[in-house]
Amino acid sequence: MNDTRQFGDLATQLVTESRRSTQTDNLLKYNDSLVRSIIREQRDLEKAAQTLAIEADPDNLPPALLIYQTAISRNKRCLLAYHTHRLDHLKDMYWAVGGALPHILSNSDIRGKLSPHEVDYLRQYNSTVMEFRGEFSYELDIMAGITNPPKDLLVLVHVVRDCGVIQTEQGSIDFQKDQRFMVRRADIEHLIVQGYLEEVS
Amino acid sequence: MDWDDEDALLATSSKGDALDFLNLDAPAPTETETPLSELIRHWMNERHAPTILAAQEQLLGLLLDHIRRQTDAVQALRGHPSTSEEEHIRIMLVQTEVERVKFIVRSYIRTRLYKIEKYARFITTDAEIQTRLTTAEKAYASSQAQHTDRHLHYSVLQSLPPAQAHLDDQPIFVPPMVTQPNKSRAVFAYALKECPPVRLPDGTTLTLEKDQLTLVPFYVVEHLVERGTAELV
Repeated sequence: MNDTRQFGDLATQLVTESRRSTQTDNLLKYNDSLVRSIIREQRDLEKAAQTLAIEADPDNLPPALLIYQTAISRNKRCLLAYHTHRLDHLKDMYWAVGGALPHILSNSDIRGKLSPHEVDYLRQYNSTVMEFRGEFSYELDIMAGITNPPKDLLVLVHVVRDCGVIQTEQGSIDFQKDQRFMVRRADIEHLIVQGYLEEVS
Repeated sequence: MDWDDEDALLATSSKGDALDFLNLDAPAPTETETPLSELIRHWMNERHAPTILAAQEQLLGLLLDHIRRQTDAVQALRGHPSTSEEEHIRIMLVQTEVERVKFIVRSYIRTRLYKIEKYARFITTDAEIQTRLTTAEKAYASSQAQHTDRHLHYSVLQSLPPAQAHLDDQPIFVPPMVTQPNKSRAVFAYALKECPPVRLPDGTTLTLEKDQLTLVPFYVVEHLVERGTAELV
């Protein structure tokens, strides 16, 4: 076994995780220990660079300093890329369920993969989006789906999970498991997205 | 009951006074362009352009007003006892059309939101791009940039040595970390009418004839798209 390690090996591992996450379209668990190790490496690198810079002649800096600097900026970039990539994935998940934040946060499987800061982030994100949505609240819901243009006004749905009484244009409907309803698509689209109802085609 | 208003949406061709002043600085490429087809053009441009295009606040406001009026009218008519069977069918058609218009409006708004999120940090530092956003969009961009900054600060930057704890440094050998729109991305531009000559990256000029389709970097045709003489497809 070869035990030698280069600067930036750990950061490569971190970026590989992001790549895997993209390829499998799957959110991996927040890798706290790896992030911490890289931050530790950053501190060591900074110290090494400092010592070198102090000892060296300012007019004739040793090339080693450049290596340290490059390693530092690469590690930092990888760290930021990892976190930003995760945020992007979380935002995609958020929009995919039509902005139903409790739906994401109450899912213990997803919740376990998030760092506490990411949960905070999602909450703030949600409030920003909701504020923006309010601008259009009287005319339309900007959170509704934009993947398929509407073809019919009504849709036949099959109830997969109980979701209680919902206000629709035809009055309130009590959706109970295994029932079928013909309802206006705009009224219940968010329930399809969140998996309570299924479209019968 | 006033049916004209309902039918107007099906055609959306009510060329009222409100439209004429809209076309003052951006002459309509075709005489028959309706508010909806105008929005569809902006929607397609927005979806194809690498950067954020100018906000169409007046046009959007006009359509939103229209949606609201139609929805209210439909509500009133549906509940009215004297509405005949034939009229109910027409109401359904209007409702379907309203849903379709909503879809385009929604998609247009969301396309812009997506880009605003992507370039949030760049938007907060660039005055030129801010002129193309609405007030609500600007607020959205700055709070996005703030939240992302804060998240990165708490997760990474605060633990790094002070010398490294900035987001906007310009590291050597690598591009800057703030994502910027890439205006040299290739786009398909379709000339709606004859365009003034444009300069290509290799120094030659190109004159787009009416109905000509060409593949060029976005910045070459940016001003044509803005003026409405060309559209992205």
